[in-house]
Amino acid sequence: MTENQNPLSPHLQIYRWHISSLLSIAHRIAGVVNLFSLILIFFWLIFLSLGEGNYELFLLAINSFVGKFILIGFTWSMSFHTLSGIRHLFWDIGYGFEIKTANISGIIVIISSFILTIIFWLLGRGLI
Amino acid sequence: MNETKKWALHRVSAIILAPLFFWVYFSLILLSTKNYQEAIYFFENLVFRILIIALFFIAFFHAKISLNEIFEDYIHNKKIKDVANILALILCIIIPLIILILFIYII
Repeated sequence: MTENQNPLSPHLQIYRWHISSLLSIAHRIAGVVNLFSLILIFFWLIFLSLGEGNYELFLLAINSFVGKFILIGFTWSMSFHTLSGIRHLFWDIGYGFEIKTANISGIIVIISSFILTIIFWLLGRGLI
Repeated sequence: MNETKKWALHRVSAIILAPLFFWVYFSLILLSTKNYQEAIYFFENLVFRILIIALFFIAFFHAKISLNEIFEDYIHNKKIKDVANILALILCIIIPLIILILFIYII
């Protein structure tokens, strides 16, 4: 079998970073992280089905420092991937390709993902 | 499934997932402060049950197409790529199915 001669994917280490390339790879990484977050939700529901004792243990883990850190990270990853995905969908219907627009929408995605994470946590934990 | 159809279905699933993901994350953060009884009570709502099952099926469908793309880009050995794709397919079928069974028979 001959080795595949297709060009390789971008070598991320040798490119100068732009907001668009940063968001592009971050979108992918966040997508993979979201897969892990779904697996966490899967185990969340498994523990719920295992009865009260097991579920209380799970809650203890999720409310520990590390647990909260992971959950906040997952919330950010979900917010970022979803917002960045909406940006991609706009490109798919042909809007926002100008470099300036793409840079601005990229910055908006980054800032909004953090704001959304904060709002989710403040509202969800009953802090506001 | 041809590539155009995959591309379109990937976008359709993304559009459905965006609101679902916001809902499920907000619910999870809320549930992390509640006890077992309240969590069970939360999932007694039929709409919520259907939404979470739908989320799992659609999200893992979306993930399957995405994983194929990622493997295509980063794995250059065809054999390893095929194995990775099969493992991804198994994962993306089994997890939603377990969730479905869980909600029908246990929770």
